Amino acid sequence: YLQNKKTAKFYPSIRFLYPSCHRNRAARIRVGKGDRPVTYEQAHHPHHIAHRKGWLSQHTSNLKGEDRAAERTIEDVFIRRFVFGTFHGCLANEIVIKRRGNVLSVCAVMLQKLPPQKFYFLIGYTESLLSHFYKCPVKLEIQTLQDKAVYKYL
Amino acid sequence: MASLMSLRRELFSLARILSGVSHLVRFLLFFLMQITVTEEPDMLFQKVVILVKGHDRAVLDSYEFFATMAAKELGITIGKVFEPPKAIERLTLLKSIHIFKKHRVQYEMRTHYRCIELYNITGCTAQVYLEYIQRNLPEGVAMEVTKTAMEKIPDHILEPLWKEIPTDDKPSQ
Repeated sequence: YLQNKKTAKFYPSIRFLYPSCHRNRAARIRVGKGDRPVTYEQAHHPHHIAHRKGWLSQHTSNLKGEDRAAERTIEDVFIRRFVFGTFHGCLANEIVIKRRGNVLSVCAVMLQKLPPQKFYFLIGYTESLLSHFYKCPVKLEIQTLQDKAVYKYL
Repeated sequence: MASLMSLRRELFSLARILSGVSHLVRFLLFFLMQITVTEEPDMLFQKVVILVKGHDRAVLDSYEFFATMAAKELGITIGKVFEPPKAIERLTLLKSIHIFKKHRVQYEMRTHYRCIELYNITGCTAQVYLEYIQRNLPEGVAMEVTKTAMEKIPDHILEPLWKEIPTDDKPSQ
């Protein structure tokens, strides 16, 4: 067994007793009773990125020899919270942010909770506000669904 | 004159390709039709190397197919099209916010490359081709272009120096 020399306590080397030995919990939904619907994005763990999943935010600053990764990340976080707040309760899945040249393209899948006129107003409002914040053309590409696309129940 | 003819030829071949492609690219054609024509001689490139980097190999595969097809349609001689080995940048971080030094988490960032070399290309063709290629770069993909230009040898080094010495060889007193 491992013995902590400072306090002379008994530390058995049994893996599950130690909090740091818990398996990774990042971006994973644990298996439950089978009544909770889960989308494709949520069901796959982060090590499946580039194998079964794609990237939610696509820009070149994380490539080798490119810079300004932190600024892009902050912009992404802000855009996700902003869109989540403006279209409250309408988002079906995570937002995909693509940067192509100067253009910031935000792609989202929404639920049909609001009438279309309100949707159009909110889309225009988001686009113009974000363009003024980031001084670059921001395009919002939205698709709507009746219900969330469930991949499986966990 | 040769530059004018080559320009017209490129624009016609581009028009032929692009008439079969989407309207977005037709806008590009319209934009390109407004190029100004000058009398100065065209730049000649011995080699134009396009290095594309991205996180996703499949995206680079499709982009390479697109670029080589466009080059073939425009009649540009393609040299080597190869894949330099990928670069992986790994980080090892502590798993826990406080103590537990022995337990870490590793992340990695992979950069895949693709290299296309074009030989013996004129300045106008290079400009048109690169503009077309760059407008259709997918998101999350970066490109680096290296051009090797050919210049005319300056006249003063064409003749060897020792031929002029008899005229300059005056006894200095």
